[in-house]
Amino acid sequence: MDLGLTEDQELLKSTAASFVQQEYGKETLVELEKTPTGITSELLRQAVDLGWFGIIIPEAYGGSGRSFTDTAVLFEELGRGPVFGPHFSSGVLGALTVMQAGTEAQKQAILPRVAAGEQMLAVAVTEPNHGWQPEKIQLQATRQNGNYALNGVKLFVHDAQIASHLVCAVRTGAGNGSSGISLLVIPKDTPGVAVRTLTGWSSQVDEVRFDNVQVPAEALLGDAEGQGWEALDAAAMQAIPILCAYTVGSCQQVYEMSVEYSRTRVQFGQPIGRFQRVQDHIIGIVNNLDAARWTTYEALWKLDANRAAASSIHLAKAVTSEAYLRVCHGGHEVHAGVGVISEYGLTLHTQRSRTLYHLLGDAKLHRRRMTDALGW
Amino acid sequence: MLPQAPSQPQFPSLSLHTGFPPTSIGMILPIAMNALDTKEMWFMDFEVTYTPEQEAFRAEVRDWLVNQIPEGLEQPVDPGDLSLEQYEKSRLLGRRLGAKGWLYPTYPTAYGGGGLSVDSVMILEEELDRYGLHLPPYYDSGGRLGGASIFVWGSEEQKQAFLPPIFRGEWRTWQLLSEPNAGSDLAGVQTRAVRDGDEYVLNGQKIYIGSLHGCEMMWTIVVTDPDAPRHENLGWLMVPYETEGVTIRPMELLTAGGEGGASPGLKHTVFFENARVPAFNLVGGENNGWKVATTHLELEHGGGGMVRRNKVVDRFLEYCQTTKFNGVPLSQDPDIREAMAEVFIKNEIVRLFGLRTYWLSHAHKPRSYEGPQTSYTRKITALEVAEEMLRAVGPYAMINDDEWGPLNGLLEHNQRAAVVGLHPGGTTDIQKVIMSRRIGIGRHVREQAGRLR
Repeated sequence: MDLGLTEDQELLKSTAASFVQQEYGKETLVELEKTPTGITSELLRQAVDLGWFGIIIPEAYGGSGRSFTDTAVLFEELGRGPVFGPHFSSGVLGALTVMQAGTEAQKQAILPRVAAGEQMLAVAVTEPNHGWQPEKIQLQATRQNGNYALNGVKLFVHDAQIASHLVCAVRTGAGNGSSGISLLVIPKDTPGVAVRTLTGWSSQVDEVRFDNVQVPAEALLGDAEGQGWEALDAAAMQAIPILCAYTVGSCQQVYEMSVEYSRTRVQFGQPIGRFQRVQDHIIGIVNNLDAARWTTYEALWKLDANRAAASSIHLAKAVTSEAYLRVCHGGHEVHAGVGVISEYGLTLHTQRSRTLYHLLGDAKLHRRRMTDALGW
Repeated sequence: MLPQAPSQPQFPSLSLHTGFPPTSIGMILPIAMNALDTKEMWFMDFEVTYTPEQEAFRAEVRDWLVNQIPEGLEQPVDPGDLSLEQYEKSRLLGRRLGAKGWLYPTYPTAYGGGGLSVDSVMILEEELDRYGLHLPPYYDSGGRLGGASIFVWGSEEQKQAFLPPIFRGEWRTWQLLSEPNAGSDLAGVQTRAVRDGDEYVLNGQKIYIGSLHGCEMMWTIVVTDPDAPRHENLGWLMVPYETEGVTIRPMELLTAGGEGGASPGLKHTVFFENARVPAFNLVGGENNGWKVATTHLELEHGGGGMVRRNKVVDRFLEYCQTTKFNGVPLSQDPDIREAMAEVFIKNEIVRLFGLRTYWLSHAHKPRSYEGPQTSYTRKITALEVAEEMLRAVGPYAMINDDEWGPLNGLLEHNQRAAVVGLHPGGTTDIQKVIMSRRIGIGRHVREQAGRLR
């Protein structure tokens, strides 16, 4: 047993950490939070050049072919920002969905472009009747003259504004079950497709409208209809621990900010870290952080070691989503007033904890699926 | 206010009523039994009956209000969106209420109050609530807290000078307490007031101040004797908004979550640079400022209790019942139903604590830990409830989108406000500190609650 990082992983970690530290100062992050894409073209280009959009894509398809754990190491550093942008949506969730669902030709066509930053994917699953169960997918794609026709809405799509292509879960078959679902790759500039940022506290979460959109039959990802849910779910299961790692990084940052603040903020004649109440908040933060960290790492190991990983992945997501809320609460208790000043940067993490809570399924859903995976 | 029966062996009974529809104020303060009535009550009664006089008062208020609410007056969901126009309408209403003595109704008429009993306040609040308004109809925590403090600690001349403009609605007031180096440790303030002839000269900085659209009057605590011991070195001063040497700059916060419902909008930093204030404006005596502060701090730490319904909770519960997906209300989903129950129950506890504390303060019962307990519970519950709402309605809770945002952005604003609201009026930890002192643990002497009268 060895729970340390490899040398390569340490290098990836320190490279990413330096980059985030240099390029993503507080002011930059506060500004980027409010933009539709969350990233500048320069920062995007730099991330592409560092290989971050191809990190999990096999070398055969133009990526670096690194492991899930390697990818998680990168995303943990991104989470520390917290860095906004399509790194996860395109480079991880989008890429993994194409890996699971696409034909060989489709993988050859799409993945190298994703790795090179030439195509940006956004995976569109949820609808106004929000949920991550297959029966919640109700957007019909009907065959018309060799095309698929779509009319409807996808809601709460992450990073659609910057996307060049939407990987869209649609209903092509009859009934309400998972076997009627297919995935379509839809260029965002297809006539009738409209993306709009949903205003509010969440960032880079969008509405995608389909108004009499026609896409050719070749837009179908895979060689047959009705396989979309299985592929999407398989991709989501692989993507979830990466998302969890991002969360771990963000929690780590909140922890460090809180420890630092408790050492330097003086009230009643002493650093507030001397007070047991403040200590209790920090202890709460670190306990939640480490629960998130180690459930995530074990899930990653199981994926990389080709062990049965499902129950661990569900567990990690359930633990991490909730831990994120508690860590941010603790961080705010330690910081009090200064923690809600926008430019301080703590609220960026608080926002992420809420915005990411439901992505790829909330804690309740994953607890249930965990019990199924455990065969109870 | 509540007549005390002269020699009855038990407490005068007090009744509390909770039967109002969700959109109105749910609580009424209790009316005591007539002191001459010898009927004995063997149980607590949460029901109230209005006397004919009270119903007549309600009718009077209701009729009067019909023509007095300025046209188009509306409170925005996000206080940061309060327009100048809306604000001025609320001030106009405030002055109209003030002219009747109904803006600060329980204070004596000699000072511009209404000389009314607490039950009349409840009737006024209920009638205003029908329009989505409350007393005062604009952020005036400085008026509410400052008025109470001046009433207890001011000289007669000061009461005559400062109370009528507040109570008549001519002055909206900001309170200036926190500084960069004095938050939880409020007694550690460093803003300095030096006596110079018949003025004080102020230098320093205050943060997390106020609201949108300014004010007419401010008050603050400052160091009047830097050599005196802690708690014996402060003065409490009224400072006109337009004083030369005062600079005001907006702070950018996640939101300016309010104290117990009075959401103020943007907060500010206020700088004093050789700002001169008449010495007459020092209330309670030089170096006695901390004692004066104990009155408004007690109120701010929940000591006054509260009886307003939590509109966000009410509307969230309604939203879950009326919003349908595929023809089925959200409330029929077992998970959402469970979340609704959790939200409701937690909020009921907050409501009951607020009611209990309100009764204690208005019936002049001895108070110990109840005020900070109310505050603590309200703050923690607000965050827990916000998180429960997030779980229940999903990412909808995070958007105020014109098309998809629930309740005109009420839930989204609440997500932010619940985080910010942990801190104003004392952090949750400070509430615990005060609770402990009042219970009498960790110290030899039990701390007394601040005077409210």
